[in-house]
Amino acid sequence: MTGDAALWSLVGLPALVGAGLGLGGRQTERFAVPVSLATAVIWVALAVGVAIGRPAVDAPFMVGTPVGLAVDTLSALVVVTVAVITLLVLMFAAADVTGSRGRFHGLMLLFAAAVAMTATATTLPALLVAWEVMGATSYALIGFGWQQDGKVQAGATAFLTTRAADLGLYTAAGAALAGGAGLALADLPEAGEGWRHVVAAGVLVAALGKAAQLPFSFWLSRAMEGPSPVSALLHSAAMVAMGGYLLLRTHDLLAATGWASVAAAWAGALTALLLGAVAVAQRDLKQLLAASTSAQLGFVVLAAGLGAVAGGTAHLVAHAATKALLFLVAGAWLSALGTKRLSALRGAARRWPLVGATAGIGALSLAGVAPLSLWATKDEVLAAALVESPALYVVGLAAAALSAAYAGKVLVTVCRRLPADAEARYDDEVRGTRHVGVLERAPLIVLAAAAALLVVLALPPVSHSLRRALGDTSAPTAGVLELLGSAVLALVVLAAVVRWRPPEPGWAAGWLGLESATHVLVVGPTLKLAGALARFDDRVLDRAVDESARLTAVTACRLARADVRGVDGLVEVVARSTRRLGDLARLPQTGQLHEYYLQAAAVLAVGVVLLIMLG
Amino acid sequence: MTETSLVTALVFWALAVVAVAAGVAVFRVDSMARATYALATSFVAVGLALLLVDLDYIGLVTVLMMVMEMAIMAVYMIMFMGMNPALMPMSMVHGQRTAVGAATATFVLLAAGAVLVPWPERRGVPAADHTAALGEALMGAKMLVMMTVSPVMLATIVAGIVLASHRTRYDRLGDDLKQRPADDPQPGGVGR
Amino acid sequence: MTLETVLIVAAALFSVGLYGALSQQVVVMVMMGLELMLNGVILAGAAFWWFLAPAPEGQVLLLVVIAAMTVEMAMGFAVAIALHRHRGTDMTDMAADLSR
Repeated sequence: MTGDAALWSLVGLPALVGAGLGLGGRQTERFAVPVSLATAVIWVALAVGVAIGRPAVDAPFMVGTPVGLAVDTLSALVVVTVAVITLLVLMFAAADVTGSRGRFHGLMLLFAAAVAMTATATTLPALLVAWEVMGATSYALIGFGWQQDGKVQAGATAFLTTRAADLGLYTAAGAALAGGAGLALADLPEAGEGWRHVVAAGVLVAALGKAAQLPFSFWLSRAMEGPSPVSALLHSAAMVAMGGYLLLRTHDLLAATGWASVAAAWAGALTALLLGAVAVAQRDLKQLLAASTSAQLGFVVLAAGLGAVAGGTAHLVAHAATKALLFLVAGAWLSALGTKRLSALRGAARRWPLVGATAGIGALSLAGVAPLSLWATKDEVLAAALVESPALYVVGLAAAALSAAYAGKVLVTVCRRLPADAEARYDDEVRGTRHVGVLERAPLIVLAAAAALLVVLALPPVSHSLRRALGDTSAPTAGVLELLGSAVLALVVLAAVVRWRPPEPGWAAGWLGLESATHVLVVGPTLKLAGALARFDDRVLDRAVDESARLTAVTACRLARADVRGVDGLVEVVARSTRRLGDLARLPQTGQLHEYYLQAAAVLAVGVVLLIMLG
Repeated sequence: MTETSLVTALVFWALAVVAVAAGVAVFRVDSMARATYALATSFVAVGLALLLVDLDYIGLVTVLMMVMEMAIMAVYMIMFMGMNPALMPMSMVHGQRTAVGAATATFVLLAAGAVLVPWPERRGVPAADHTAALGEALMGAKMLVMMTVSPVMLATIVAGIVLASHRTRYDRLGDDLKQRPADDPQPGGVGR
Repeated sequence: MTLETVLIVAAALFSVGLYGALSQQVVVMVMMGLELMLNGVILAGAAFWWFLAPAPEGQVLLLVVIAAMTVEMAMGFAVAIALHRHRGTDMTDMAADLSR
């Protein structure tokens, strides 16, 4: 019983508190931060509780399709990770976000509730509801500073792109119903033959969209307009990760259809490669980190496609910690120095040693340097790729090299000696405070520790129990040779980056031109169609209504005229004729005797003739 | 028994011509007196024609009645015209052409009827003394006629007097008939 | 002297009388016209009696006609007197309206 209550509270508590804070208005400003931090702490406790207790609940929704939540190993890991990172990010945001706190914390908590529901959903209705709420809060949070130009536009781009991809999930739900598999996630592989392909395709599209894989990656670039805590939570650790989580959850379905798992694997690998190149070419720190998020999630998608659930989950968790750390660091430097351009951040690590050290740990982890977390988890995934197809392995290895390259680029830039004119380059985005507070530093320490220590998830003792818990015992594991090889590769690439500057090709800097391509291929035609439909409505449908109204009025006039001229006229004619007949009837009444005699004679003659004729 | 001798036919035709001519003359002559005489002549001719068809009683009654009527009419002339009626020229008509047209049309219609209608055969023979038969019928089988005509005659007399009298007893004796002496323009009488 | 000839004569008398009744202005002359019409009727009645049905009933009818003529005469003269007394005229044209 308490397990069930804990699970409902896991979703319900942040939702209620978030809604309250968000709707509260100005009155919540004073106590928004304490309330939200307290809620986050309780939430972490609840997450740990359900991770241990593993409850399962459901509530009736539609006939035969309940809203179901359950916690298994995969959900437990994800929920705990997200809960802890949410708490740390909210701590950072308590110092970093100074305006509209009630709205900010309310939306973050609402988002947290949606993530919890997504991670624990067992049926498609629950998943869909949470999926949509995640997208909506992401839009609101990206456009948090709506007073400035372009922020809301960026939020709309992100929202519309992910929403368009979400249509895949709706299609999958419909196909699952049509294919007779019901809407439970575990039952999806049992849909009818043709329908299964539709379901798999729908799920794949939705997950790729949410995880910012190709061809949807451009929305993540636009999402960087939001505040740094938002980028740290939503667009590194939680929301985009849910795309990867969905594919990990439905890897059975992908495997059952054959082509879907291959497609997922290649999509992930190619994304990792190409977005890695894009990251290397970026000059803005947050844009580089965004591209790197997309590339790292490519590894998770690759793992899901290959069926290596343990490796994918470990990579997901480790990447969440690492990327959250790096985004928070970027946020700290943005509010302190007022800039996020790499060229202006030269030597920034040396100004505040703690921040710089944690940034260094994060960058090294991202590069895949041993013994930090992303090194081992990546190899788990690549081991499965090697078994599946050597081409995939080569692509994955190249992507790993590129991740070392861009992480090295960041490391080299910020660890340089401070240039003399550094001060002149600051403050091009906001006025920097030149101060990094305690609330901003503490989360960085915890996340740096996590980025280092989570390597255990991919190393033998823990990884074996993880595999057993996830039911993934048959997946291949990384050997010592592979581990050594990838560590060496990372170091070599790092050294190369230190020695030579990495190139910045235009096609990579412009995020592969994906956004303009989308505008031309999708947005333009859609708007034209909308315009045509609007014109059709105005000219045809509206005119039909107007014409019918006009015709009604005209008909009414005509009928009125017909009534006045016709019916009324007839009545008038009858009256007039009767009056005239009456006047005529008076004419014989002359009073003259001889005329009366004449009339009598005439009548008699007529009468006689009639009698003779008839008788 | 409709065969007639030549004499009868001749007489009848003479009488017919006289009757019609006299009738026309009634309205063509200048004075009312002459009109009266012409009317009397017409009636006498018709009465004599009746005698030709053995209607003795009725013919004589007709003649007598018309003579009396002419006398009365002469009295009326003097009363209304106030002068010697024989000397007064008069021809006052209205609607002459309409009247002529109507009369002509009526004559044509009736004559056509008389000629074209297929009259039936004679039924029965006249009684030996049809005047006596008339009297017996009137007092016997046709008593109703006598009983009707008599009151009608009486009513006529009364109505005629009422219409014609200038001053009745209500004028003379007041509305309640109690005024004594009577209100006469020339007093006299026996005081009643 | 057949039925048709007598009837034609009677019709002629009737028509002349009708002309008079329609065209004369003086009341007495109108009455003379009416008299002539009845004259024609009597002649026609007598012809029918003699040529078609010589029974006493026919004579009774003729007597009734004569009585009617008498009544009409009497009433006509009385009305003429009343008219003359109240309107001072003896012409039918002046008697066209009811009261004055």
